[in-house]
Amino acid sequence: MADALFLNGAGGGAQSGASAANRIGERAALALLSGAAGASVLCVAGILGFLAWFSLPLVFSEQGGPGQLASVISWTWQPTSGHFGILPMATGSLLLGASALGLAYPLGLGLALFVNGLGPGWAARPLSALVRLMTGVPTVVYGLASAFLLVPLVRAGFAGTSGFSWLAAALVLALLVLPTIVLLLDGQLRLVLPGLGLTAAALGLSRGQTLVRLALPLCGPGLKSAAVLGFGRAVGDTLIPLMLSGNAAQLPHSPLDALRALTAHIGLVLATDSQSAAYGSLFACGLLLFCLSLAANTALRALRPATGRVGVRVHLGPGLEAAASALAWTAAVLVPAAVSALLGFLLLRGAPAIGLALFFGDTPPLSALLHGAPVFDGLWPACLGTLWLVALASVLAIPVGIAGGIHLAEFATGRAARLAAFCVDLLAGVPSILMGLFGFALILLLRRTFWPSANTCLLLSALCLALLVLPYLVSTTHSSLTGLPAGLRLTCASLGLSRWQAVRRVLLPAARQGIMGGVILAIGRAAEDTAVILLTGVVAGAGRPGALTDKFEALPFTIYYLAAEHQTPQELDLAFGAALTLLALTLALFALARRLGATAKAVGRPAA
Amino acid sequence: MRKPLHPMLFAFVLLALCALPVHAGELDAFAGKTGKIDIAGGTAHIPVMKEAAKRIMQKAPGIRITVAGGGSGVGVQKAGEGLADIGNTGRALTEAEVAKFGLKSFAFAIDGVAAVVNPKNPVGALTHQQVQDIFAGKITNWKQLGGHDAAIHLYTRDEASGTREVFWEIMLKKGAIAPGANVVASNGAMKTALAGDADAIGYVSIGHIDQTIKAPLLDGVAPTQDNAKSGKYPVLRKLYMNTKGAPQGIVASFISYIQGPEGAAITASDGYIPTK
Repeated sequence: MADALFLNGAGGGAQSGASAANRIGERAALALLSGAAGASVLCVAGILGFLAWFSLPLVFSEQGGPGQLASVISWTWQPTSGHFGILPMATGSLLLGASALGLAYPLGLGLALFVNGLGPGWAARPLSALVRLMTGVPTVVYGLASAFLLVPLVRAGFAGTSGFSWLAAALVLALLVLPTIVLLLDGQLRLVLPGLGLTAAALGLSRGQTLVRLALPLCGPGLKSAAVLGFGRAVGDTLIPLMLSGNAAQLPHSPLDALRALTAHIGLVLATDSQSAAYGSLFACGLLLFCLSLAANTALRALRPATGRVGVRVHLGPGLEAAASALAWTAAVLVPAAVSALLGFLLLRGAPAIGLALFFGDTPPLSALLHGAPVFDGLWPACLGTLWLVALASVLAIPVGIAGGIHLAEFATGRAARLAAFCVDLLAGVPSILMGLFGFALILLLRRTFWPSANTCLLLSALCLALLVLPYLVSTTHSSLTGLPAGLRLTCASLGLSRWQAVRRVLLPAARQGIMGGVILAIGRAAEDTAVILLTGVVAGAGRPGALTDKFEALPFTIYYLAAEHQTPQELDLAFGAALTLLALTLALFALARRLGATAKAVGRPAA
Repeated sequence: MRKPLHPMLFAFVLLALCALPVHAGELDAFAGKTGKIDIAGGTAHIPVMKEAAKRIMQKAPGIRITVAGGGSGVGVQKAGEGLADIGNTGRALTEAEVAKFGLKSFAFAIDGVAAVVNPKNPVGALTHQQVQDIFAGKITNWKQLGGHDAAIHLYTRDEASGTREVFWEIMLKKGAIAPGANVVASNGAMKTALAGDADAIGYVSIGHIDQTIKAPLLDGVAPTQDNAKSGKYPVLRKLYMNTKGAPQGIVASFISYIQGPEGAAITASDGYIPTK
């Protein structure tokens, strides 16, 4: 009763009826919130369940005897002669992930140190902007640019390799995971540096000494988290290995040899007969990838910074600052050079293709726009497909994600909360190809049970993409709410607001900026992902999307398809044009996220 | 109030519609029909399928035809599971496949499979044995074959490929393919990869051969469709469309169209020999 009184600013008996209604509404809202949080647990359980269920025949054959597990855990992949070994792919994934991390980590550390004081101040801002820009580059765009720039360079530079190699894939994967590492380390450094000013001044340390001797040791767990996150991202990527590593199912003898990653293997082989051991082995691959992300996640949890721990390392040799400075400068030169080479190449190749013909082929644009005239040899159907896909995935994921985040931040307690939080983190680390595999298996299951005409389609892809972006939404909502000043909560409590009222009237409006940023991030992620749609219904020629149950085209897949399949130079131009379009779209979304964030901050006063 | 359509725009659209190529006759079977046909599988088929789909969809806007690749294995699986209306294969179905899924096959073209290299490669003739040794990894330098001193870059296809199966059975006599070979996912991708790599060797459907890649003579015989048809060139197969059970409605019309005179013309212009 008191709640209503304060909230509405006017007392009186008439309020009691409204208050009862409010309470019921409040209960319903809370139930919905916890349901949304539960959804992420269900998703994880569903994916794990599917993977386990479909790889079960490997352990127990239908006749009851032992399955072909021994054949799957072997070094030979030759399905035509009954060898389904996935060990070469598992090793390939680990080698790729480790080498990409080995390249990216020092560079990432160098960049983080550079922008935090090891480099000149004027260079810090543009470098930070570049790193943020890199987070918006779709993996398929990196793949395309590298396949036509880096691969020929590797081929020309080293004898005996076709260029499609471990080396090429590792270099580009390193670029892909670099921003993850830099942003995490940069965040950690920014957190600890302000508190070190007095200590540093008292000890008479230079900026470089402060960074290396004081700040970095304080970032200890953050340093390890960055490595684990970077490794997970490198192992989980599908398109870069698929497009650049040559995909030979072998153990590479040198970085110039071709190798096949688990993710690429799933994408490449989903093709095969769905009841054979080849198919079962794909789910074993999936299970393995899932376990890898589980391990990474568990490691991350173990690395959560312990509070109040302070360790200052002093005896680390005299050359440390010089080494750090050299590393920082190397990174600050190499990384922008590599990124501008790739993106500049893309611009050079793609820009001449930009024009109405790129989008509409030889169909008159107006009749395509207004009358839905079919477009061949143009990107318009793919653009429409991507728009539909993103819109549908957003409708499915955004409400659930935000509600789940609110529940986790404000209401969940105890074991259930820990489980849900764990599942969200885990889901965020699950490689996107597994969402696709899940979707594909779901359709097979539906067809065999109560929906015989179910098929891979636009709706299925959107659903799987929604699963993919869900954790981003949950965690950004969660962190923007928990990041609010504690005073705000105290004020709410002292005003006598119920927790739901506090969330609705005060905390959510205050956290709007962060939540909005999460939404835009999720949209960008849904627009660029290729691996999910690869297995769930995208095709190269479908025309404009017709119904939710139809096959469709999408920009990222068009890029992937044309990169490999172009039959004429014009078709390759189309791929570069598509890559520029997609890049412009994702970069615009990220810019919008920042802008929205900024404006939201200006007006983001809690509105009680 | 809806704004009336601008007369210029209307004229423009009308003009655009008139400009569409009009194919009388066989396409009439599709006029006014609606529905969708999902096609997947064999990648040698794709150029023919896409051209037929384009003509049909221009004639009958209510029909949607999607064409996806994947390889013959995908064709069998997608058609068998009912995930596609037509599953293409570049090889005959096995008895097990027919029995398991109840598939019906419709051949429409004869197509050879040839070992191909980059046009810059001076090697113009190979023997059967040399091809086997190259793919087994026993011959590793073009110098051994009279070419430049450069390592041979091997390209092969994934196991779902019918082209791979035919090449492996007839050309390689089921011999080994070196595990280090790059794997590409379609005939189109193979062609693209070979066109960009001067030291490469791979194999494609003869229908895909154009000036961007070169097919060396095999034991003195040029790998052409004519030689394949006459039996002089041994590595050949038929291209099939497969359906689960007898095809119905527009799917049946599509198959008749491909097998009919106009489909045969498309097939021939894409470099294959129509079966009829």
